[in-house]
Amino acid sequence: MNVLKALGATILKMFVADLWLTLTALLVVVLCAGGLRARLLTAGEAPLLLAGGVLIALTVGVVRGAGR
Amino acid sequence: MVNLATTAPIVLASFLACAVEVVEAFTIVLAVSIVRGARPAAMGTAAALTVLAVAVAIFGPLLATVPIHGLQLVVGVLLLVFGLGWLRKAVLRTGGALALHDETAAFADQTEALRSEAPTSRQAGDWLAGIVAFKAVLLEGTEVVFIVLAIGARPGLLVPASMGAAAACVLVLAAGVELRAPLSKIPENSLKFMVGAMLTGFGVFWCCEGLGAPWPGGDWAILGLVALYLAAGLALAGFVRGRIAKVAA
Repeated sequence: MNVLKALGATILKMFVADLWLTLTALLVVVLCAGGLRARLLTAGEAPLLLAGGVLIALTVGVVRGAGR
Repeated sequence: MVNLATTAPIVLASFLACAVEVVEAFTIVLAVSIVRGARPAAMGTAAALTVLAVAVAIFGPLLATVPIHGLQLVVGVLLLVFGLGWLRKAVLRTGGALALHDETAAFADQTEALRSEAPTSRQAGDWLAGIVAFKAVLLEGTEVVFIVLAIGARPGLLVPASMGAAAACVLVLAAGVELRAPLSKIPENSLKFMVGAMLTGFGVFWCCEGLGAPWPGGDWAILGLVALYLAAGLALAGFVRGRIAKVAA
């Protein structure tokens, strides 16, 4: 039971070590998907927006982490 | 189509990620082996490796049945979230905001914990030690299995990803058995930094592919993305270092 609990905690930690970072990354993907679906973004613009959004998420995640 | 631009970073990413995790698992298995003997350490390790092999045998073929675009999007998101977490932590450690993982200290803690346990019999002691080794290999191995399955999720890439991980296992274990000491000289944080940037790059690439927005340059864009996140990580680590020095002054 102890092993299963630790395994569950490990899997959870793999994806939500920093909840804010996880949610921001997901938000960037959702925005790109929505933009493509609504034709607000072209297939050529979406990769650049996604890569840039992830870069911003990383920057904010690091700045928040450094401030603690 | 699978080409060098795809396979080389995949083999390297799985090799480096696996090396990091095996170093951490090896420290605990070594502590078990020294305090309680090689038998419980070997039994616990073998049991965990069996569980992990079964997981790969079940989930590997299962992934092949999922439509490629859906799979790329799901795997891309998971890799992105996982890789960003590793990269952020490695940046904070490089910048000095978080303490570096110390294998020698982890080994000392584990050895002390095993010695302080007072089992009712030798058999109970072996059983407890075996569980400790099992848990260490299973938990560290879970991350390796995820990485190998995720980056090997495209047709023809599971074998190179597995080969990278297997090579890391063999090399790290050979070094550990030879030294019979925690592998504290392996630059674990630098490896995590590199792997974090690679997984983030793969994640961004596959998310776009899954969304039907292909990258200019095809698979070669993966190398550009990895370089971008690596450079950004290094710049951010410099920023963190400067900020800590400013606060300390």
